[in-house]
Amino acid sequence: MDLAFMWETFLTLLPGLPLTLELAATSILAGGILAVIICFIAVVGGPVGRGFAQGYVFVFRGSPLLVQMFLIYYGLGQFRPFLQEVGVWAFFREPYWCAVIALTLNTAAYTSEIFRGGLQAVSVQQVEAARACGMSGPLLLQRIVLPIAIRQALPAYGNEIILMLKATALASVITIMEVTGLAGKLIADSFRAFEVFIVAGAIYLAITFLVTRLLMIVEFWLSPHLRMKPPALT
Amino acid sequence: MFDRGTVPATDNKNKTAAVSVKDLRKCFGPLEVLKGISLEAQEGDVISILGSSGSGKSTMLRCINMLEVPDSGEIRIGGEMFALKKGRYKTEPADRRQVDRLREHIGMVFQNFNLWSHMTILENVIEAPVYVQKRSRAECVEEAEALLERVGIADKRHFYPAHLSGGQQQRAAIARALAQRPRVMLFDEPTSALDPELVGEVLKVMRSLAEEGRTMLVVTHEMAFARDVSSKVVFLHKGVVEEEGDPAWIFRNPKSERFKQFLSNER
Amino acid sequence: MELINGYLTLVGFGETGWGALLLAAAAMTLGVSVCGFLTGTILGSVITFMQLSRYMLLRWLADGYTTVLRGVPDLLVIYLFYFGGSAFLGYLGGLFGYHGFIGMPAFLTGTLALGVVSAAYQSEVFRGAFKSVASGELEAASAVGMRPWPKFRRIIAPLVLRYAIPGLGNTWQLVLKESALISVTGLVELLRQSQIAAGSTRRPFEFYLTAVVLYLIITWASSMTFHRLETRTLRGTRRAL
Repeated sequence: MDLAFMWETFLTLLPGLPLTLELAATSILAGGILAVIICFIAVVGGPVGRGFAQGYVFVFRGSPLLVQMFLIYYGLGQFRPFLQEVGVWAFFREPYWCAVIALTLNTAAYTSEIFRGGLQAVSVQQVEAARACGMSGPLLLQRIVLPIAIRQALPAYGNEIILMLKATALASVITIMEVTGLAGKLIADSFRAFEVFIVAGAIYLAITFLVTRLLMIVEFWLSPHLRMKPPALT
Repeated sequence: MFDRGTVPATDNKNKTAAVSVKDLRKCFGPLEVLKGISLEAQEGDVISILGSSGSGKSTMLRCINMLEVPDSGEIRIGGEMFALKKGRYKTEPADRRQVDRLREHIGMVFQNFNLWSHMTILENVIEAPVYVQKRSRAECVEEAEALLERVGIADKRHFYPAHLSGGQQQRAAIARALAQRPRVMLFDEPTSALDPELVGEVLKVMRSLAEEGRTMLVVTHEMAFARDVSSKVVFLHKGVVEEEGDPAWIFRNPKSERFKQFLSNER
Repeated sequence: MELINGYLTLVGFGETGWGALLLAAAAMTLGVSVCGFLTGTILGSVITFMQLSRYMLLRWLADGYTTVLRGVPDLLVIYLFYFGGSAFLGYLGGLFGYHGFIGMPAFLTGTLALGVVSAAYQSEVFRGAFKSVASGELEAASAVGMRPWPKFRRIIAPLVLRYAIPGLGNTWQLVLKESALISVTGLVELLRQSQIAAGSTRRPFEFYLTAVVLYLIITWASSMTFHRLETRTLRGTRRAL
């Protein structure tokens, strides 16, 4: 257990952290928006919309993220002339953007299922009570449906955020030097897999720990209605 | 007619019924639940709607505020009729905005209270006045606290529904309905989901509402309430009005066989 | 039309077709996934056993294990086993006088890496399933004097499995998809084979798309199988859902 080496490793891996976090944040955000769109299509699109949503989820949950990444990064490179014509080639040739797109499309599939579960958990009774006093449409959504759905979906969504943070490691396979990429390179150079694993693992665990804590705070803040009041307060 | 003031004093000269239902029909698939029901409630009437399960009483009540859409028939609130249009497979309200607008003046109390679990009691009560009727928040809070005081749970106003007993939740639901300053109040078996010892506190509140002259339509199994508090009793059987009349008379002299049987069962 | 013909020649079974190799690679994917999954099942059961133990140290170790392995990217675990394993083998070789590089066999790396990560997820599934088993049934087994091993084999395991099947179906899908990561060690499973074909023919789009389709077929067949398994093992129980 060479502590000096592990400290050096830490310093070597640290520059990759901003990239890891950027990749995660961008794809979680974009994926969330895309998931909302997919849910919307499923709800208002009738059987066609539902079919599309189900198909989308099936494809992106049923195949490995790495293959999806390869398909976008290497596969689309095959259509370079066409993409150059349309003017988006500069975008698709960057591994960073290909990774973001792959991560976004992938997380949108899982997230849309989470949102769907959250919406389904809103009980008919509470919606009826809202309708009965004249609420409908956007007001109903904003005041009743969404608050309940969000509280329901939060644990699962938090889990998805953690999974996304880990998934960013795959970007290293298409040459992006985030934490895992730098770790891999360091291991290959130094052959000291165990120590590097410990340091890299610790970095990821630290991020995961922080995110989990943050989510616990948000959950706590959103759910006073689920906590039992101490009997003394009557 | 729909000014948001206090409950209008009973005015016998006012001929327009608060609620008027004509020839209501509704099928759920192959099952015909309402077979032509007609009913009228004047201002200040307290109408108890009785019947065994499957008689269509809840369905009829829910048609009045369009939570169920009847296949045919007329429903009028204070003279204004819900516009319906017949689609290919089912009838739908023709004007959603009208439905929302009329619902503002109908206060509904559900069997399962249906309080919004993510809001405190006070927030539940001010939700409709503030966000649907767009009244000033300060005014609504003041009124809400008075209403909660009136139903006897003012000290629970910052608690969440899950912390209250069934009877307290139902009283909160009544306060919520009252906060809308409704013209008509609908009660869908308000005490059926309560433990027996909690039923009394809710009935007490409902009785006080009746005494102040509110127009109420109550689907219930509480015979004592129907007999002592209502101004009219309607007995439904298999989707049809089997018998109706003054409670003092009707309970002692039931005309139809089925009503006689119903009364003996409920005893 | 000629697009489709061209595609079929590429992935077909003819002279220049890569079809046979792709199918063989898909079989390799299944192989390493199955081995990894089973490794995970055995290791996962041990972890669950530790999680339910009376001794705080064991519980603590087990919880630490699951936290670490569920919080760290799988790729890092693969690097650990591949490079670490090679280093370890090299060290062993050195003890015997051989001072060269001994590469860790890719299949073994894959199995171990997949198994070790899957064990963390599977132990959670087993723990939940164990909690769902009515304690009365377990008590009855003790009451008739059953010894530990028969009790496990005839009572605990079957009952826990019944509740674990849905969760195991999920973790199986995870292993299947993680197997694609083993390609970085050079194991010729489906992704690696597609990579080779793509490089050789300079048509990455067709091959990666084919890979996606093949993975979808495998995951779809898996979920069908697990669904059938669920209905069979849940015979004789009443469930709310």
